[in-house]
Amino acid sequence: MPGRTIPLKNPDRPYLALGLEGSANKFGAGVIKHLEDGSTSVLSNIRHTYITPPGEGFQPRDTALHHREWALKIINDCLAEAKVSMHDLDCICYTKGPGMGAPLQSVALVARTLSLLFNKPLVGVNHCVGHIEMGREITGAQNPVVLYVSGGNTQVIAYSRQCYRIFGETLDIAIGNCLDRFARVINLSNDPAPGYNIEQEAKKGKRLISLPYATKGMDVSFSGILTSVEAYTFDKRFRADGKPRNPNDEDIITPADLCFSLQETIYAMLVEITERAMAHIGSKEVLIVGGVGSNERLQEMMGIMAQERGGKVFATDERFCIDNGIMIAQAGLLSFRMGFETPLSKSTCTQRFRTDEVHVAWRA
Amino acid sequence: MASSSLTLISTSTLISQGAEAKVYKAHLTAAPSEPLVLLKHRFHKGYRHPTLDASLTRTRVAGEARALLKCLRSGVNVPGVRMVDAAEGVLGIDWIDGNSVRKLLPGGAGEEDEATSSEDEEPDPVDLLHEYDISVGVLGQLIGQEIAKMHLADVIHGDLTTSNMMLRHPASFKSRHSTLRTELVLIDFGLSYHSSLVEDKAVDLYVLERAFSSTHPDSEPLFASVLKAYELRMGKEWAAIGRRLDDVRLRGRKRSMVG
Repeated sequence: MPGRTIPLKNPDRPYLALGLEGSANKFGAGVIKHLEDGSTSVLSNIRHTYITPPGEGFQPRDTALHHREWALKIINDCLAEAKVSMHDLDCICYTKGPGMGAPLQSVALVARTLSLLFNKPLVGVNHCVGHIEMGREITGAQNPVVLYVSGGNTQVIAYSRQCYRIFGETLDIAIGNCLDRFARVINLSNDPAPGYNIEQEAKKGKRLISLPYATKGMDVSFSGILTSVEAYTFDKRFRADGKPRNPNDEDIITPADLCFSLQETIYAMLVEITERAMAHIGSKEVLIVGGVGSNERLQEMMGIMAQERGGKVFATDERFCIDNGIMIAQAGLLSFRMGFETPLSKSTCTQRFRTDEVHVAWRA
Repeated sequence: MASSSLTLISTSTLISQGAEAKVYKAHLTAAPSEPLVLLKHRFHKGYRHPTLDASLTRTRVAGEARALLKCLRSGVNVPGVRMVDAAEGVLGIDWIDGNSVRKLLPGGAGEEDEATSSEDEEPDPVDLLHEYDISVGVLGQLIGQEIAKMHLADVIHGDLTTSNMMLRHPASFKSRHSTLRTELVLIDFGLSYHSSLVEDKAVDLYVLERAFSSTHPDSEPLFASVLKAYELRMGKEWAAIGRRLDDVRLRGRKRSMVG
């Protein structure tokens, strides 16, 4: 930012933070180090995903159980890989929200316990801000328009005056939710992720099926599209096995076609609202974060759009796109260095916590 | 096969590029007496599947032209439609000589959308208003009346901002009024649609209110005069819309994201 100085000073000594994330079906832990020269290094970043059988989603209760079961092992592995002990840490960062209640609570409990055991300050972190800060750190994007797309969130965000302002968002379900639920309908595996399997399936699709296209200004809507694409599985041209019944059976719709059409339609909507936000604020950079951001077709489409506008797209791979502990450590440590701490009595978590409620003290 | 619309565009001057379209200034024929037109080209988006892109472009161009025609038939001041090439995504409308309302009001001259900001020396809004011989209060009335006329025709603009309203320049406009030398024109119906719902009309007004407060500081009295004129023109339809507008204001953008 020209004309304004960045409030965050380089640290006088190296800082270490542990980040714990578990707002959805992944439990993640990571250790980050901020050095005196202002650089950052990721010491470890480990995650375990709760995978349900095909056709099923993850329930809050079972997901919380999964996190409880894995938390200690992952944290131990994470510290061992980073070669640090709990005593070396400056703070423990955990996801305050938004996310599913039960999994959030189980992780907050772990964070509080560790904080009391080792007498370390706690920092509650907004999950979305964690994604944005990690994306900025990894890609080096300065002041991008951020497209945050995941299983629970779909937002177009731009920074302005110490706040990540939401320019556009979904009016109903998140894009990842739409993909996950469609994967269940056609019985795709949840391993490693339903979205990944839809992407692979879509590569085999050829036929573009007409689906609703729902953008409203800078907002989008996915629930009607999900209903519509689901309805095609009851169409008499639909072949669940993807094969024609006989040599003359040409006018058919395969699951691959539906995956292809779904991806083409909803990603085009996302790119369109991102482009509108870029035109609106006059930015040339786009940063894609969140689990759906690891989709290569979305990255490709965004790249074409950015190129047409003379801009640039920044994206990260699955290690940092998909929910992880290191992003919580990064955003938490940034605010910790600005003097922010979450006292034990306030170390709650919340399912509803908007991106624009966070005071971004560390940016100019 | 090079279409004639594209040939026309290649001989026109590009004036700006938004997110959706490129805007050109052109003559439809070579005759010097031919009035100017504005060409809005929704160019092909490389990132979209060609089939999807073609169908979106077609429906959007046709939709915009349809909304303009509906407004014209109902006596709303909008630019006349001169040509439609839905397949190529080109819409040709009357060229409006004048300024956008955004530039005529305090605060709006600063950050204008992209291309137009190249003109370095922006004239002072107060001087400009003087040129149009119109007071801020009357301007508010004109805005309210025009929106009311549009809503009475069941057209929802979808993107009401002060950038999407223009005043005709007195030098090139023959007014039928003795006191008023200009006319307010609504432009850019790219996001418009047809609806008779109270909800949609109230949201349309709310969008404008937000646009006013975010671009023009201290414009509350002006927006109040817009609403007053709107109320007068809407007659008995106002009561329901006004009530709904109060509801919409409370709603705002405070929803929490869950999903």
